[in-house]
Amino acid sequence: MFFLDLFRSFKFALQSLWRNFWLTIVTVIIVTLAMASVSFLLIFNLVANNVVDTVKAKSEIYIDLTEDAKQAQVEFLVAELNKLEDIREVIYITPSETLDRFKEEHKNDEVIIASLESLSANPFTGSLKLSVNDISKFDALLTELSRDEYGQILEINNSEFYEAKDLLNVISDYSKKIEKLGFGISLFFVLISIIVVFNTIQMGIYSHREEIGIMKLVGASNWFVRSPFIIESILYSIISVVVMILIFYPLAVYVQPHIDNFLGEYTLDLVASVSSNFLWVFGLEIGIAILITVLSSLFATRRYLDE
Amino acid sequence: MITIKGITKKYGNYTALDDISLHIASGEFVSLVGQSGTGKTTLVKLIIAEERPSKGEIIIGGWDITAIKSYEVPYLRRQIGVIFQDFKLLPKKTVYENVAFALESCGVAAATILKVVPQVLKIVGLDNKIDHYPWQLSGGEKQRVAIARALVHKPKLLIADEPTGNLDSINTKEIIDLLIKINEIGTTVLLVSHNRDVVNGLRRRVITVEEGKIISDQVKGRYVL
Repeated sequence: MFFLDLFRSFKFALQSLWRNFWLTIVTVIIVTLAMASVSFLLIFNLVANNVVDTVKAKSEIYIDLTEDAKQAQVEFLVAELNKLEDIREVIYITPSETLDRFKEEHKNDEVIIASLESLSANPFTGSLKLSVNDISKFDALLTELSRDEYGQILEINNSEFYEAKDLLNVISDYSKKIEKLGFGISLFFVLISIIVVFNTIQMGIYSHREEIGIMKLVGASNWFVRSPFIIESILYSIISVVVMILIFYPLAVYVQPHIDNFLGEYTLDLVASVSSNFLWVFGLEIGIAILITVLSSLFATRRYLDE
Repeated sequence: MITIKGITKKYGNYTALDDISLHIASGEFVSLVGQSGTGKTTLVKLIIAEERPSKGEIIIGGWDITAIKSYEVPYLRRQIGVIFQDFKLLPKKTVYENVAFALESCGVAAATILKVVPQVLKIVGLDNKIDHYPWQLSGGEKQRVAIARALVHKPKLLIADEPTGNLDSINTKEIIDLLIKINEIGTTVLLVSHNRDVVNGLRRRVITVEEGKIISDQVKGRYVL
């Protein structure tokens, strides 16, 4: 009985989709647009998070070593720091590597290069390059390294150290703000999409309100009346997300060079990113679409079933 | 078949039906007459549980439906065939599908539907229009589809609420003849009408309602208003 009713509900839903062709087209377009706006925001968040993550990953700090720092002390400190969970990597940069890096950074500044070459010896001490897994951990780590016991090895009292520390805090704050803003805008768009889809489904079912009354009069149970509308809503959702997928890929290929130009080294391969999470992304979208359309159907049919 | 005891139906301060009692035996053909707004359709709505009485008791085929639960209403309606003045056909379904829907909604097997629906459509003379949509039919044909739908699960009671109200005289006669035929095969028919000629032509029991009260109940009655 259950499967017979389900089969018939499917049959009625498919008949309704076909026989109310223009209503179906309009509903699918609106649901597609609503889901596209949510997808656009998801992709925007994906790109923004990628930029933030890339910036965080590239955030590293150089701490100069003192002139008195002994090689064994430095190696011990590097080994100890590398054992810490929050630290991604600590690398010892030798004085000559520091000099090379400095020359590379200032290769266009002839005065500085000339000044360096006028010196008989390498003016730089060695340094430590620190990178962490979570940028917000930098602050605590640098505070830890500011303790007196490290004063013999690390140049922690120069202004560069504190400037770097401040910069990292600023990056960490901005990344949190970007995440919050992205979430807020997404929530706003999702709410608008829910309202638009809800009203579209309501209007569709409103046009069937007399039929609902007739079905009840001939002895159909509430669920038998309701189920084709629910199945129809599920079909609308699936068709809409499939249409969106068909539009997304060519559009992503078209937009990719513009994103690459705009973001430079922080760019993201849209097609690859979405494809690698295909089931998760579109599964979630179909799930959200079905949830909204089915709830709208249940709400709208209940109104006419109660009359 | 139908027993109504002291039924009153109020809408706010307005009393649509006032202490009505009647009994319709199985196999009877009864006309319920009265001018517009006298409570005829309200009585039909109470019998098919579209409305609940304010007071009194309604028993259909031994089933007290006075306080019927909403989940039981579909089961009641499957035992009562109803036709209306405005036909109430599903506009996006064909003639066949409209009739089949009544059986599909109560879980009848597909093979039975395939067998029964064409038979019923043949009885009402529409076996040649099974693939037509309601908009492709005349008023009389639409009403015959409605009758086929009402008959398809072999109800013991058929209620016809102003079935000829939208029809010309030729179609009116055809529909009434069909109702008589249906009654002759054992179905109780309750005809609600204010068509004087139709009611007088039947020469069957006539119940007259005025201002929510029964003012006459004659075994071989006439339209007296």
